[in-house]
Amino acid sequence: MSKPVRLYCWHFMSYPYLPDDFDTRYDSGWVTVPNCLWDGEKSRGLYQEYIDQLAYADEIGFDGMVLNEHHQNIYGLMPSPNLIAAALAQKTRHGKIVILGNLLPLHLNPLRMAEEYAMLDNMSDGRLIAGFAPGSGPETFNYDVPSAPSREQFWEAVDLIQRAWTEDGPFAWEGRHYPLRYVNPWPRPTQRPHPPVWIPSSRSTETLVNIARRGYCYFLSSRSHGSETAKSQAQFARILEEHGDRFDPFRMGILMSAHVGESDAQARAEAKEGVWYFLKNCLKGHLRREGRMLTAGPGIPYIPPAEFRSYLKFSDPTAPLLGDAADWIDLDRSQSIIVGGPDTVYRRILDIVEHAKCGHLLIQFHMGNMPDTLVRNSMKLFIDEVAPRLKQASAKLFARHFPEMERSAEMAQ
Amino acid sequence: MSKTVLDLRGRKVAVAEDGRGDPLVYLHGFADVHAVAGDFQPFHLRLCETARVVAPAHPGCAESDELTDGCGIDDVVFHYLEVFDALGLARFDLVGHCVGGWIAAELAVRHPERVRRLALIGASGLFVSGAPVGDVFMHSQPERGVEIATLRRLLFADEHAAAGLRFFPSARGDIEEEMRRYQMLRFSSFVGFKPPYFYNRALAGRLYRAAMPAAVIWGAADRMVPRAHGEAYVGGLPGAEGLTLIAGAGHSAPLEAPDATADALLNFLALAQHAGKRAQRG
Repeated sequence: MSKPVRLYCWHFMSYPYLPDDFDTRYDSGWVTVPNCLWDGEKSRGLYQEYIDQLAYADEIGFDGMVLNEHHQNIYGLMPSPNLIAAALAQKTRHGKIVILGNLLPLHLNPLRMAEEYAMLDNMSDGRLIAGFAPGSGPETFNYDVPSAPSREQFWEAVDLIQRAWTEDGPFAWEGRHYPLRYVNPWPRPTQRPHPPVWIPSSRSTETLVNIARRGYCYFLSSRSHGSETAKSQAQFARILEEHGDRFDPFRMGILMSAHVGESDAQARAEAKEGVWYFLKNCLKGHLRREGRMLTAGPGIPYIPPAEFRSYLKFSDPTAPLLGDAADWIDLDRSQSIIVGGPDTVYRRILDIVEHAKCGHLLIQFHMGNMPDTLVRNSMKLFIDEVAPRLKQASAKLFARHFPEMERSAEMAQ
Repeated sequence: MSKTVLDLRGRKVAVAEDGRGDPLVYLHGFADVHAVAGDFQPFHLRLCETARVVAPAHPGCAESDELTDGCGIDDVVFHYLEVFDALGLARFDLVGHCVGGWIAAELAVRHPERVRRLALIGASGLFVSGAPVGDVFMHSQPERGVEIATLRRLLFADEHAAAGLRFFPSARGDIEEEMRRYQMLRFSSFVGFKPPYFYNRALAGRLYRAAMPAAVIWGAADRMVPRAHGEAYVGGLPGAEGLTLIAGAGHSAPLEAPDATADALLNFLALAQHAGKRAQRG
């Protein structure tokens, strides 16, 4: 008897009221996108709508809700995911609250993050999954964080937080970036020894080693899935073994977007506007070649030179990115946004799971400017008609691949 | 040109050297990192006609190792003191361009006794309210995968200038040249990413200490470090007589107008030489 995939509803909280000609008039949806485009009147109630969608996900049976931190863009209106998490802690009773994550180098002191997460863990009665991320290009520009040393700073912050949660205080922290004489946070987290920690990363060996060494969960921060996803899983599994640990599906999470309709044709017809609003506007400046991409590149030089050299060698700067998808054929190829009737969505997600062997599926349902009813219908169809089959099939799949998983899965909780 | 790699207690420092005469230390900028990592460009060769030009590559650039134990401006200044000691350079002319100019100014206010004459070309380092240094990091992010015309516009008066198109092409070019740019960006991000963005607020108040003869040379169309920074250097350096503008050049004056920039610099060195001799005779 093995465990099935866990299904989480991820909400980015994008800004849905951009003008129709946004793409032709503005070169980015990130950092420099002028905030005079914020329509205060239309936006009244927007956060409530999004929070209610997440609460609905909890109510109908998702295993958790996912939030993350973004600044100064139209892609995600959550500069502070912890505020949304506090609201969810009061509105929901069952699912995990996953914050993926707080961008540690952007904050004055990681002790504050240790404190806020401990509060959220108490307020939600131990439902917090604590994500930490270093932030990438846009955040670097937004928050004036020195980018080259930010990785080192990030891991120091993570270690300080973990120690603050697990070791009796007060103690002194002798770090280079955050030296503190008294570390002694009240409250302590509800979950002992500490809430599960998830770290997003692409496929940097250095990051995977850091995750493995600390026994954390790896979230693959790629929006597209194919052979690279399987390679990431294999690489992480190998690194875990090198650290005397063993991979199981619940050591890893992946992100995808889905829209479920009554049929393939209907799903496409109803999702089209929201999906392309998301691709063309929200991904402009992030995962589109059009405009100026701020997420990665030479201007955010935190990648060690040797890694950058191999990036230059093996990458094609003219290759289209997810946001460049022109039609459904392009989109299907990226294995990122899955749109269809229940059978199609089930089959395609299972295919990804078969390759990724990964147990945490973080799924975005609200895309771009999708109306509330459409998002809720899709989530409900997913839970009623996709989730049961996916759980059954994945449990069998995991039992076959990971006969010893039961024990380690419990440990990873 | 000879290239040597110093070993500073296990830390490598690449130094390009050419010419004969009194020692002149040249600290490179963003656009002419190639001149130190590859071959001297016409501007640098002109300096070699009258001086022994010693041009170290900043930490992380060319064959130089990155500084592993902190790489803020103070660390870089200390790094260069070690480099000068290792090279046996007690007193020398000091010329710096762009971020190299900032480092030169920081060295001059700390150790005025070592700097015979100081020349700054499009130097960052000062905080000038309302005239921020251009965002070289943002503009290094290509548009449509490879297009960096806005970076050229920041660094060169004419974005179609030959030097700009050669060293900053809008295409995936020679990997070695891209790596040089990347290493310079990385070094710059350690020493000059925000906050603060390529400045040290305390520097302006310390300039009085650098009383040696000084030249402040600026591309008339510098969009990276606004001319107001040049004026502020002239205002603060006791030995600076005025701002020398290079017509038609932008931030990368040594590449865009090599002769005019070299003339301005060599004139200054020659005049300061006579002035120094007159002072000695008097």
